[in-house]
Amino acid sequence: MRSVWAVAMLLAGLSLLGPLLAPFDPTAIDLANRLSGPGTGNLLGTDALGRDILSRLLHGARWSLGLAFVISVLGLIIGTLAGLLAAQGGKVVDWSVMRVTDTFLAFPELIAAVVIAGVLGAGTGSLIFALTVTGWMRYARVARGIGLSLQTRGYVVQARLAGVSAAHIAWWHYLPSLLPSLAVVWTGMFARAILGISALGFLGFGVQPPTPEWGTMLLDARIHMRSTPLQMIWPGLTVVFCVLAINLSGDALRDALAQEDQPT
Amino acid sequence: MIRTLLGLGARATVVMTGTAFATFALLWHAPGDPALAIAIARFDAQVPPEVIEQIRAEAGLDAGFWPAFHAWIGPLLTGDFGRSSVTGREIWPDLVTAASYTFPLALAGLAIGVAMSVPLAIIATRRPGGWLDRGAVALASLGAAIPTYWLGLLLILLFAVQLGWLPAMGARTPVHMVLPALTLGLGVAASLTRILRSGILEARSQAFLPAFHRRGVAPNDIERAHVAPHAAIPVVTVIGLELAFLLEGAVILEVIFARPGLGTLLVSAISTRDFPAVQAVVIVSAVVFVTVNLLIDLIYRAVDPRIGEQDA
Repeated sequence: MRSVWAVAMLLAGLSLLGPLLAPFDPTAIDLANRLSGPGTGNLLGTDALGRDILSRLLHGARWSLGLAFVISVLGLIIGTLAGLLAAQGGKVVDWSVMRVTDTFLAFPELIAAVVIAGVLGAGTGSLIFALTVTGWMRYARVARGIGLSLQTRGYVVQARLAGVSAAHIAWWHYLPSLLPSLAVVWTGMFARAILGISALGFLGFGVQPPTPEWGTMLLDARIHMRSTPLQMIWPGLTVVFCVLAINLSGDALRDALAQEDQPT
Repeated sequence: MIRTLLGLGARATVVMTGTAFATFALLWHAPGDPALAIAIARFDAQVPPEVIEQIRAEAGLDAGFWPAFHAWIGPLLTGDFGRSSVTGREIWPDLVTAASYTFPLALAGLAIGVAMSVPLAIIATRRPGGWLDRGAVALASLGAAIPTYWLGLLLILLFAVQLGWLPAMGARTPVHMVLPALTLGLGVAASLTRILRSGILEARSQAFLPAFHRRGVAPNDIERAHVAPHAAIPVVTVIGLELAFLLEGAVILEVIFARPGLGTLLVSAISTRDFPAVQAVVIVSAVVFVTVNLLIDLIYRAVDPRIGEQDA
């Protein structure tokens, strides 16, 4: 669990304090100093417009990690509500909600996100919308599954017989039992959101220039692959590092919770 | 069995109808005037308002949501995808051409992924917890964190730019498929190795295996007859999940490797706001995706009789 907290602190620190650590203005153009390699002035070199790559990476953390956080939390809220609705709403509601969930799951999520973001017009708003709409289904499935299994528990039956409202039961009895599993799903979706944002950025449907974002940085760097390959390495490595850290802490979280469940 | 089939079929139908409706609704409510977009794409100049109105009427855009949806979905059910709003040509032939590039790429990626992950998982599980095993798990975790498009760029950098062994752009010869297929395959291998590894380990922990050991059955025979079939079951499911990855990966990689295909078609149709073409690509991918998942569901039930008919 300690490593999970360490990763969480690191990523939060990176997205909150990253811009403060940046040595240069991430949008300051310096054409005389374009496409320079790593050196003393610009630690990781400069891009095609002479902008400092390290500063762009650090400022980009706010967009890449911050947006991924927003998207995965929005998905968590929508998915949990849908799952609880399905678990508590009776057969017809359950069937309808789950078929809607199936429909959204029935299509490769990234392709759906590309179509939605592309059609709505490139921009941060449509990026958030596209990735949220395609990223709530897993939470819904988990919330519904656990919700259904709780329905016949003694304390839930008691509460229902005592006339407690469904919303009250959902909030006070279902949600606490759901949170650990949802947290594990959330780490996976957070990592997916980072990959999704950078993929859409790379295709030109995501965050728009000159805002620094890791996917758009890769798109810019791609054209100069032959002359300055290193420029393409940095943003990719950053994405890999963040996604790997989140995935591994998700695994650790899952193992820790599995151990807690076991009777001692 | 018949109930199961009917249940699965009904579910697939609901899902397809939902996808078609959602796609149409999204494009209908998209910002911007589609008639104007068509006019700009066709004439590439200032267009008088009368012409735009004429285009609007031709494309059936003035009729309102439900008549337009009806006019689209009716022919679609008979396999008529309509005409591109930009070129005015039938979409179907373009779709077939695109698919003939995308599906071989996806299949090659899957084949490479399976060919890499099966031996790796077998070697890794020889000694669980050993350094080979830990190395395989670490590689798989790393592979799952690498964005497909970045891996593609790295392979281009290494094999096409630095070493000059393989072509990176286009699709003229089968050799042009090596790099994109390898990129896809590495991604597939990353997740498949993990699943296979835990599948084999779980299959080995079955309670009846020590009994065979004590009766003197050769370890290799036990592996072949009792461990392998069990470990194969999760693979069937995972290939269903990999399909999403393969399609997504193919879409992005086609853009990177400048290959024709469904991905390039989709991205260029989005940029030219050629909505009939966007709809066509979405519907075709959804049909493929739903059909393959349906087949996998059936295979899954055939392979593992423990999966009852109650959850159809």
